[in-house]
Amino acid sequence: MKKQSQASGAGAVARFLRQNSVPLMFIIICAVLIPISGFSAGYLINEIVTRMGRNIFLILSLLIPITAGMGLNFGMTLGAMAGEIALILVSDWQIWGIPGIVLAMIVSIPISVGLGLLCGKILNMAKGREMVTSYITSFFIGGVYMLVVLYMMGPIIPIAHSSIKLPRGYGIRNTVSLLSMRQSLDNLLAIRVLGVKIPTLTFLIIGLMCLGIVWFGKTKLGQDMRAVGQDIQVARDAGIDVERTRLISIIISTVLAGFGMIIYLQNMGNLSTYSSHTQIGMFCIAALLVGGASVEKASIGNVFLGVILFHLMFIVAPQAGAKITGDSMIGEYFRVFASYGVITIALIMYETRKRKAKLMAGRQLQLAQSEDVK
Amino acid sequence: MNRKKRALLYRLGAVALLIVISAAMLWVGRGHTVYFDNKTLEYEGQSYPSFYRMTVKDGDATVAKLAKRERGMADWMGQHFEMQVEVLTEKGAEPVVYPIKLELPYGMDGIVVNLPGMVAGLPQQAWVSEFIPSEPQGAQEEELPPTEEDLVPTDI
Amino acid sequence: MSQTEKTLKPVSGFSAFVQNFGLPRLIIAGFLLLLFIAAPFVGSNFFTQLTNTINRFSWNAILVLSMVPMVHSGCGLNFGLPLGIVSGLLGATISMELGFTGGLSFLMAILIATPFALIFGYGYGHLLNRIKGGEMMIATYVGFSAVSFMCIAWLLLPYRSPNMVWGLSGKGLRTTITVEGYYDKILANFLKIEIGSFSIPVGTLLFFALLAFLMWAFLHTKAGTAMTAVGSNPTFARASGINVDKVRLQSVIMSTWLGAVGILVYQQGFGFIQLYMAPFYMALPAISAILIGGASVNKASITNVIIGTFLFQGIVTMTPTVMNNIIRMDMSEVIRVIVSQGMILYALTRKQGGSK
Repeated sequence: MKKQSQASGAGAVARFLRQNSVPLMFIIICAVLIPISGFSAGYLINEIVTRMGRNIFLILSLLIPITAGMGLNFGMTLGAMAGEIALILVSDWQIWGIPGIVLAMIVSIPISVGLGLLCGKILNMAKGREMVTSYITSFFIGGVYMLVVLYMMGPIIPIAHSSIKLPRGYGIRNTVSLLSMRQSLDNLLAIRVLGVKIPTLTFLIIGLMCLGIVWFGKTKLGQDMRAVGQDIQVARDAGIDVERTRLISIIISTVLAGFGMIIYLQNMGNLSTYSSHTQIGMFCIAALLVGGASVEKASIGNVFLGVILFHLMFIVAPQAGAKITGDSMIGEYFRVFASYGVITIALIMYETRKRKAKLMAGRQLQLAQSEDVK
Repeated sequence: MNRKKRALLYRLGAVALLIVISAAMLWVGRGHTVYFDNKTLEYEGQSYPSFYRMTVKDGDATVAKLAKRERGMADWMGQHFEMQVEVLTEKGAEPVVYPIKLELPYGMDGIVVNLPGMVAGLPQQAWVSEFIPSEPQGAQEEELPPTEEDLVPTDI
Repeated sequence: MSQTEKTLKPVSGFSAFVQNFGLPRLIIAGFLLLLFIAAPFVGSNFFTQLTNTINRFSWNAILVLSMVPMVHSGCGLNFGLPLGIVSGLLGATISMELGFTGGLSFLMAILIATPFALIFGYGYGHLLNRIKGGEMMIATYVGFSAVSFMCIAWLLLPYRSPNMVWGLSGKGLRTTITVEGYYDKILANFLKIEIGSFSIPVGTLLFFALLAFLMWAFLHTKAGTAMTAVGSNPTFARASGINVDKVRLQSVIMSTWLGAVGILVYQQGFGFIQLYMAPFYMALPAISAILIGGASVNKASITNVIIGTFLFQGIVTMTPTVMNNIIRMDMSEVIRVIVSQGMILYALTRKQGGSK
């Protein structure tokens, strides 16, 4: 993979451009769209800060499976669903504010662990195509989620309040209001700097999480994960229990995604029972990739840069589209297209690189063999 | 073997800790809505008339100002409910402050407090009752969830 | 019935049958059988149900058939079906825009869709050749990108026909467009058989049969066997002088074109053109149908297509009415999701699927 070429000035620049093409592209898109949209800097900064608090934790949950070589964990949706179920229960029990959020997180843990275990087992059966499998798993569990929330909540899982139950007597309404815990995490210790509200506590939690991820990378388990991510066979020869390590990475990711979803929803203030989770995985993955991550390598820096760039595009696109064409739908479709486009590009780059590396290895092997013959 | 045992102990400890925290959260985070009525109360044949004005206060903050036959409300987390009420018997009279102290029943979402009854020092069951909300209007209109997911999100 | 699992040791009787047929498939077939048996008892007409199932079969069969070439050449399940569908939608809308009506509009839609399908398929095929081994995930996202890109296009392209654009602004295509007056039921009504409440859309079935036969015949030509060879053992195929990339490209173009024709046939039965995000998840039902029919990630036959589409559409049509009558709950959506996604998951976790 590493080019042997001399790092001449022009070559270095070209390499930098190539390696950071996706973030650069988004910087250009934002630079063009922001002036057209006509939003004030104050408004944009406020929005970005809010969205950083809302989304970063969710995106952080993607990092560990990437380290373990399992690619982009589309199965983070499972964690999101666990978080949603926990929030539905907690709001039915009428636990409010921060205690409600803490309780929801605790309730989500066993659900997330169970789903993560299932997802990890399935992915261990589909080595080499983890991504498409985790993607389909999220749909499959989405069906189970519907079964639980739409039919079992009421008759089997007791739900007391008619404000969240469908009028027919079982199943949960399309939207569940989380007014009693809305932004209680964000508002505690919040400070205003030059008119920008900074959710200090949420950022503190995110900061702790980042430290936790860095620390985890240094533990025995974290080292094992990196080894498994680099080469399964080598890791197995070194005596690492590959299956177990991969399983744990998915479980951790799922649990963190559950927490992330609870943080996300407490900021939003209401839960769209049947659609909140469907797109969340895709947008988190897109944001991570926009930050310059790839399928096999992602850092905390990628998460922060990605959230800023991606959400900047997401905020300004509809307005800019409306200004250019007179139709705000264009901008909405554009940001969806941009999200899918960036994932597609990242996947293509990953696969071509993988293939090149394989070819190169093959050629070197050939070379070595021919030299042996001499 | 010993190591395994210790790991297991740690895990059990963690689970126990989480359960303890959950129990604490269930206790301190339980939210109630408390309604205050400045209404005449009939109790055991006697009548406790409403007052000219009652002001419910939480420390220095005013929660509700109630004229005759009015109802106010406040959200409260936890079971120990504690506020004060300032009673004016007539316009220009000297306000008298009474504490409102109440153990909120865990199973009740909405609790109605009849202030005249409380001020008169009646037993608690006389002036505390459960608030039962009427079925929300238009509830029957809500349809089942959409089968096609909303693929173009408006916000994330 | 194609084998889904290579049985290493000989097993006899029932368990061998289960292994060959695949347990999930057996459950699904049993479930459908149960539904058919239960239908008369809960008061729904057996023949109406059968008619519905056959109708839906006729709409969807070609979309499912479009999976076959790519599976054969080893490109995996065509998660990029929306790309073909988009070509079909372009054909349909342009044909209507140009003012063709009746049967001619259907023919023109196919003709106009063809160059789009060829161009898109060509680019898509080249892309898939560059990323061998990661086809399915990338195909999914190529499909998604194409659909969301076309959303912008449907708004901006200069369509003018008052039957298709938004009435108020006079521009931008509507989300659903009726094909009434164009090619509504154009195949279904051809040679249609009707006996009481039982009816068969013979024309549509014949059209499917024609394409299925052509596909079968192609797979038995030299080019077709080369395709199978590439799919089952690319190294061997390359050694025997087959241009692997070219064969794969062919298969992708064929799949894309079949997808385009498939959506047109679907529209003539369904009665509407659905634009914007509608094609988004259309690949998944087609994929699970062919898998239910006994295909695997790298093996698929025409029989798989027919059996699978019938089983899948049978469940889709039967569950709402029958379940509703039995338990007074409409659980059809949930059952459909769990059955179809579960089937795909099952296929992806099979060991012998090769590295996709």
